[in-house]
Amino acid sequence: MCRLIVPLLAAALCAAPVQAARETLPLPPFTTAYQPTTVDERGLWMEADEDERRMRDAPEVIRDPALNAYAREVLCRTVGPARCAAIRLYIVRIPMFNATTYANGMMTLWSGALLRLHSEAELAAMFGHEFSHFELRHTLTGFQRRRSGSDLLAWAGLLGAGGIALPTMVVGGFYRFSRAQEAAADMLGFRYLTAAGYVVTAPADLWTRVMAEQDATEIGRYRKPNQRYVAGFFDTHPTELTRATYLRAAAAQIGGGGVDEAARFRAAIAPWLPRLLGDQIKRNDFGGSEYLLNQLAVDGWTTPLLFARGELYRERGNPRDLSAAAGFYREAIAHGDAPAEAYRGLGLALLRSGQVEAGKAALRDYLARRADAGDAAMIATLIAG
Amino acid sequence: MLRIARDMILACLVAAAAVPASAQERSAIKPGFVLPPDTARILLFRPSITVGAQSTAGLFEPNADWTAQAREALGASLREAEAHLGHTVIDYAAPDGADAAALAEYHALFDTVAAAVIEFQFFPGNRLPTKKRKDQFDWGLGPEVGTLPGLGGADYALFVTTEDAFGSTGRKVLQLFAALARVSVVSGVHKGFAGLVDLHSGELVWLNADLQMGGDVRTPEGARKRVRELLAGFPGKPADTPVAAADANRAR
Repeated sequence: MCRLIVPLLAAALCAAPVQAARETLPLPPFTTAYQPTTVDERGLWMEADEDERRMRDAPEVIRDPALNAYAREVLCRTVGPARCAAIRLYIVRIPMFNATTYANGMMTLWSGALLRLHSEAELAAMFGHEFSHFELRHTLTGFQRRRSGSDLLAWAGLLGAGGIALPTMVVGGFYRFSRAQEAAADMLGFRYLTAAGYVVTAPADLWTRVMAEQDATEIGRYRKPNQRYVAGFFDTHPTELTRATYLRAAAAQIGGGGVDEAARFRAAIAPWLPRLLGDQIKRNDFGGSEYLLNQLAVDGWTTPLLFARGELYRERGNPRDLSAAAGFYREAIAHGDAPAEAYRGLGLALLRSGQVEAGKAALRDYLARRADAGDAAMIATLIAG
Repeated sequence: MLRIARDMILACLVAAAAVPASAQERSAIKPGFVLPPDTARILLFRPSITVGAQSTAGLFEPNADWTAQAREALGASLREAEAHLGHTVIDYAAPDGADAAALAEYHALFDTVAAAVIEFQFFPGNRLPTKKRKDQFDWGLGPEVGTLPGLGGADYALFVTTEDAFGSTGRKVLQLFAALARVSVVSGVHKGFAGLVDLHSGELVWLNADLQMGGDVRTPEGARKRVRELLAGFPGKPADTPVAAADANRAR
């Protein structure tokens, strides 16, 4: 039955009459200050409240007021002021592409997403999807589904009934249900995106780039790219290819128009870009990181991008990489606003390439700029040696 | 959605027999540690209390009402017990901002250390090589715990955690039928632990942990019994009254 949700939503989407170049899809009714009433839902909210007490004080939460204010503004613009009042948003410093929603309206946005998004419209697409999980109360229905399924399995296991077919069906049902929830959140999130006046191809573009990054990661690790259309048995989400496809189809129904606010998004992220890039480089994912850097550099290689690329190549450390890294560091330094660490990177890359004197000179430049650096003593031994 | 995997594992373990809790030690005190009565100032951190039901298959079903009742009843019982501990016990006022983050880290660290003690010291078969010597109890959070804001010159910190999942009707019926088939199904989870940390040295000086505690924490009487069990063996505590000792034989 759960599989019906997607076609139903899609049908609802298609059935709406196409008017001008762009239409606004109706949104479901929303109760402000919703309070859970049933035992199950109140229990789940209580659990989420405890999780949120921890999240509120967690060290990995990014507290930068400007970044938080911007993210909140986009969230409120996407779902409207009444709905966004129900949400507490925490930006968490985890260099992966993800966001999560809890039963009680706590939402987390992972810093890795900020690095991968290209525009405010794409951020709005993520927020719309996450908010839909909250609005459709997916935590509750997912929990009830798991409970009824596992109850059935417990009895079947005890009575020795059902053989292997029943557990397969029930367990497969959990994951199918989860995938249906994700698809439903995608489609409702798409409505929010449309209503807020953003470019409606944003989510499809986003998923297309996520796939490209995954492929680059696989190729970088000498494995075969493996995008599939059909979700696996244990997949909690539809595959990226599926999501990109149905979101692209939905966007085609709506037509063009809308704003993407890419420049505004880039400006808001700019102060964090060096740290986001640094976190990404540490993931030991050469192919994926190189893909991301190239994506970010469509309008030219800025200093943070060049420095990050130097670090990425220096970390892989083949002789040709060291030579390339030195080039990137030099380019960054030529821009005039490179961090002191660019001199360190240049020095270390040159030293390991056998250019000892030039390397030591760069390291001296580093120490001249950052005498109080944590690694100053270690770098000094390299210069002396 | 990651919970699905966890719950699946739980569900798969339903039929598995319960870990024999009798092999587990329940309490330990740092050798040579004495808490002279009437001298120490003890900070009580916000107790971690979770109460819910256990579904037929063993999933935890959180229950907000029961948890609220337990929080109230356990809070009252703790205050009552504090009066008999023979020390000054103060509720810790949670700080804000960066201080709150530091506190959260120490709370998490205490939970981790306590879990390690239960797993690697209280269970003799699982004891780490460095923890095998007799009468050894050497665990700590590090001396920096004393730099936490708002400690107000306190000497010790008391942490209390309880977790209860009452077997649902479905669970009990399953248990009954399973018993007929000679399969052991445990209905209900009642865990709790309490620990005392020396705020000057960061050492864990006392830990009491029990995976099968008595007392229905939702009721005032049950909570009183639970607090007695949690604080059983508290160092420097005046001798237990005979009533408390009799209650220690659990009713369940």
